[in-house]
Amino acid sequence: MMTIFRYTLRRFQGQILGWGIALALFGVLIVSMYDMIAAEQEQLQELLEVYPPEISAFMGDIGTFATPEGFISLEFFSFMPLILGIFAVLTGSGLLVSDEENGRLDLIMAHPVSRAALFLGRLLAFVAATVAILAVCWLGLVVPMNWSSMDIGWGRMWLPLLSLLAELLVFGTLSLLLSMFLPSRRMAATTGGMLLVASFFITGLAKLNENLEPIAKLSPLNYYQAQEAFQGLNGAWLAGLLGSAVVFAALAWWRFQRRDIRVGGEGGWRLPAL
Amino acid sequence: MSEEAALMAQRLTKSYGKVRALRGVDLEVQRGEIFGYLGPNGAGKTTTIRCLLDLIRPDGGTVRVLGIDPQADPVAVRARTGYLPGELALDPNMTVEDTLHYFNGLRGNQADWGFARQIAERLDLDLKPPIKNLSHGNKQKVGIVQALMHRPELLLLDEPTLGLDPLMQHEVLRLITEAKANGATVFFSSHIMSEVEAVAERVAIIREGVIVEVAETASLINRALRRANVRFKQPVDIGPLANVPGVTVLSQDDGTSVLLQVEGEMDDLIKALAAFPVSDFETERPSLEEIFLAYYEDDQKEEE
Repeated sequence: MMTIFRYTLRRFQGQILGWGIALALFGVLIVSMYDMIAAEQEQLQELLEVYPPEISAFMGDIGTFATPEGFISLEFFSFMPLILGIFAVLTGSGLLVSDEENGRLDLIMAHPVSRAALFLGRLLAFVAATVAILAVCWLGLVVPMNWSSMDIGWGRMWLPLLSLLAELLVFGTLSLLLSMFLPSRRMAATTGGMLLVASFFITGLAKLNENLEPIAKLSPLNYYQAQEAFQGLNGAWLAGLLGSAVVFAALAWWRFQRRDIRVGGEGGWRLPAL
Repeated sequence: MSEEAALMAQRLTKSYGKVRALRGVDLEVQRGEIFGYLGPNGAGKTTTIRCLLDLIRPDGGTVRVLGIDPQADPVAVRARTGYLPGELALDPNMTVEDTLHYFNGLRGNQADWGFARQIAERLDLDLKPPIKNLSHGNKQKVGIVQALMHRPELLLLDEPTLGLDPLMQHEVLRLITEAKANGATVFFSSHIMSEVEAVAERVAIIREGVIVEVAETASLINRALRRANVRFKQPVDIGPLANVPGVTVLSQDDGTSVLLQVEGEMDDLIKALAAFPVSDFETERPSLEEIFLAYYEDDQKEEE
């Protein structure tokens, strides 16, 4: 399993550096802008208050925009599940199936590696890669605080990132599960991406329309804490998200244990001819 | 079922949707033999091999590999097996050496690395370049090295010489023969009849998911149809030859030569020819390829 883990993590190196550095640089930019924004906070507050509620519903509590926590949440954390969700969906959907589709899994599985070890090794590599991206991202947020008046604290900055990690694991494992049932990686990634975007909009729109609240309760992003995380993580929500990820991963593992390893189009779905 | 069998499949069936890839394959390969598995594309060769390694699950039937049920303990089967897939795909960003180290890692570093280098040298394979820079033939060599480097008890090779030049094809056949000499069982599928004929002790012919023939390679060739070209010192009436059991006249000239097709033993024909003024007698042994094709021609005739 460790060979699988190390090999998979090595393949993720480029993504860890690419996503991590890009988001860290974005974090540096946001933190560096805080002092300038804070100086103009009265005018900005007035501007934000005239924003239509449809927009502010997706941005969190804009009344706290001038506070360090409110600012970093609005500018960074509020849409990060959508951005990094793309990584989670693409990685989760391709974790096993991309190698299967290009024929590499056949030879790997012909070695004395159990399906459980392969599955677990790759899943752990995905978790490690996600944590690594968030760690680089965290560095981009906390290091510039040394020359900024933003005083959130290095440890507290991890709180929304932990909530974000749980979200990414949910969408990553959900996409992995989809890839085990759907006939292609592309279809799994598309479906996972659609669920991610739908979750983002339903969660935002439920703040405007009470009728959507029952549906929003099924949305993983309903339990994402950006600014609220700085006041303390909701343990039940975090456990619920991590529990969902474990259930999705367990179902995917169950399916992977039982299905054929494909090398061609066998087992694929065909749309009826028009 | 023999306890000594390296491979055993009984009534093995596998379908992909409506396509019935295997329709009750029965197969037994003894330990220490080289066994050729013949059939055209889509006949079920690769599906059989993938069932043996638990890469796919059969719909019905029984499989044992080295006495082990692959579905019950696939890791034990794979630990003692070397596999070369028909469609080899490798990580293009790894070097040849890293690729082999990775596969060795998956085997718990059980490979004999000196032996791996030796095979690579014999196949003229450079270990330094990345896989993406290799030709199809050189990638195939990487596949051969990884299949052999841990000296497995059983080799499952799906088209092992695919994409190799004749010199390298010959070297691979030597490696297969050497593996057998060291006690390994070799089960390999191929389109190239000459190579199967050269190394396989027994062959199975699979057609549309059914084994239609299992036989020793030599006996399969010997008992098949063969041609006899007879020349006479003077024009003769060949009528009596046409009446010999198992003999068919394919063509004749002006009575001084005749081309015959003989099914089974030559004894009756030779005895019949004793009454003729024979000046020359030649027989053509059919190649394994002709025998193989005959199974398909027979099938087409039946369908017509």
